[in-house]
Amino acid sequence: MILYQAIAIARRILLELWRQKRSLILWVVFPISLLLLNGLVLAEGAKISTTESFKFAAPSTVVGAALFFSCLGGTVSTIVAERESKTLKRLLLCPLHSTSYFLGIYLAYVCIGVGQTLLVYAIASFWQVRFAGALWLGAVIVLASIGSYVGMGFLLGTKLARRPEDVNSLVAGIGVPLLILGGAFFPTSYLPDNLLLLTQLNPVYHMNSALLLVSADGKGLDDPDTLIHFRFLLGFVTIVIAAGGLAYRRMMNIEKQL
Amino acid sequence: MLVISHLSKSFGQRQVLQDINLTIPQGQIYGLLGANGAGKTTLINLICGLLKSDCGQITIDGQRAETCARRLIGVVPQENLLYASLTCRENLAFFAALYGLRGVELRKSLQQCLTAVQLSHRADCLAHTLSGGMMRRLSVAVALLHQPKLIILDEPTTGLDIEARFEMWQLIQQLPQQGKTILLTTHLLEEAERLCDRLGILKQGRLVAEGTMADLRAGFGADQMLLLQVNAEDIPKTLVIAQQHQFIPRRHYGSECLAFALRGRRSLSDIVPLFAEVQLQSITLQPVSLEHIYLELQDPNSP
Repeated sequence: MILYQAIAIARRILLELWRQKRSLILWVVFPISLLLLNGLVLAEGAKISTTESFKFAAPSTVVGAALFFSCLGGTVSTIVAERESKTLKRLLLCPLHSTSYFLGIYLAYVCIGVGQTLLVYAIASFWQVRFAGALWLGAVIVLASIGSYVGMGFLLGTKLARRPEDVNSLVAGIGVPLLILGGAFFPTSYLPDNLLLLTQLNPVYHMNSALLLVSADGKGLDDPDTLIHFRFLLGFVTIVIAAGGLAYRRMMNIEKQL
Repeated sequence: MLVISHLSKSFGQRQVLQDINLTIPQGQIYGLLGANGAGKTTLINLICGLLKSDCGQITIDGQRAETCARRLIGVVPQENLLYASLTCRENLAFFAALYGLRGVELRKSLQQCLTAVQLSHRADCLAHTLSGGMMRRLSVAVALLHQPKLIILDEPTTGLDIEARFEMWQLIQQLPQQGKTILLTTHLLEEAERLCDRLGILKQGRLVAEGTMADLRAGFGADQMLLLQVNAEDIPKTLVIAQQHQFIPRRHYGSECLAFALRGRRSLSDIVPLFAEVQLQSITLQPVSLEHIYLELQDPNSP
């Protein structure tokens, strides 16, 4: 029943996005443009081949930027829009399990996130970029990253964003510094030492680094660095989903009183 | 079908519902009336299991509301809480899935509901392209999807034009024939009088009157209402004449005129001569309506 309800929620979100089209188009345009910019700038700046530069640009573009805006921004938008249009109140009248709601939003953004990942690697393949590591590990990192962003989206959407206008300021205010410190736009090696310390606490940095090591260097979980990033990512996704779930339940309890 | 016994609810220090007792048999339309803030929405939220009562019990078809409400009740909220960018069919399919309907059962239920609310011809139209009346009917269809035994209609015709209102009334009147029990809240007294088998009037969280229209009339203590408009200087004399003939003065909200309740059936030709000494500007004799009873009960001075 939970899975069936989750699929219904996911299908509804995807249908709504398909009807609006604008968000979907921008979520296609954004990673492509960022990949091209990242790849070409890195090749020129680091004086390396485009194959090398795109090998590094692809994972950063996926987890550091594309998934961030679609999965985190999208989740916040979905929750805020649902509350704004009061359809959340309608859902309260149905026997909808809160896990189904979370899982439904996660599934919808998995579809979008996986689509973006495939698109980025498909474009990168024009520069002879190949996924060097284990595909399953790459998939786990991407899915865990989507889970982290959806969990964060739940936290922000239920706690901080009250109106649709709040979504942009939240994503920009919290997101852009996280992305810069996470190495989404340029390698973290360019950062000064004191900021490098901060990056250790940044989940985007760990997602980015984990995928980068697996995708570009072909590393696996036997590599200590990869293992650290991977463990951080799994710990983070667990905490953020639990916190997001709690925040969602609290929001629903408030909605019931209205 | 729905039994509410000794139900009370307060928010902090504010008592919102006090000792509500109510029974709605299967297949009846029950109208719940009351001013804004009387406690109608809180009562509905309690029946739907969205809120927990302080004391008392609600049972639906013999089962406690807390455990079964969402499966046994179909709710049509005050607003059309639907997904505007989905079609009617997609909206229904989505909510049906949340109720666990699938496959043939889902398709059958969808078709039945679309037919019942006469929206089959607009099934594949986006919800935001529907008129207000159609949106409301789609809302009713959502509430019918899982074959609920009890349907709660929260101000179902608010904001609808006259034609759409009549269509909605027809739709509501058909529901008891399918074995559905209806709890309807409305501010339209004509609607309540026309549709409901029984009525309950809430005032400051208390059910101050309850029963059929005949019961309420009996409780009102009169059969007819006499409305008189006289010159200001004639008012004392008019009140004396009315008292002599045991006409009961009542508060009237419609216009600046005197209102009296009359027992038994009289005709204007009997009454006009009684007021020969005063200059009548207008005189109206009408049977006691729900409006008279409601206004009387909502009077701050009435118990």
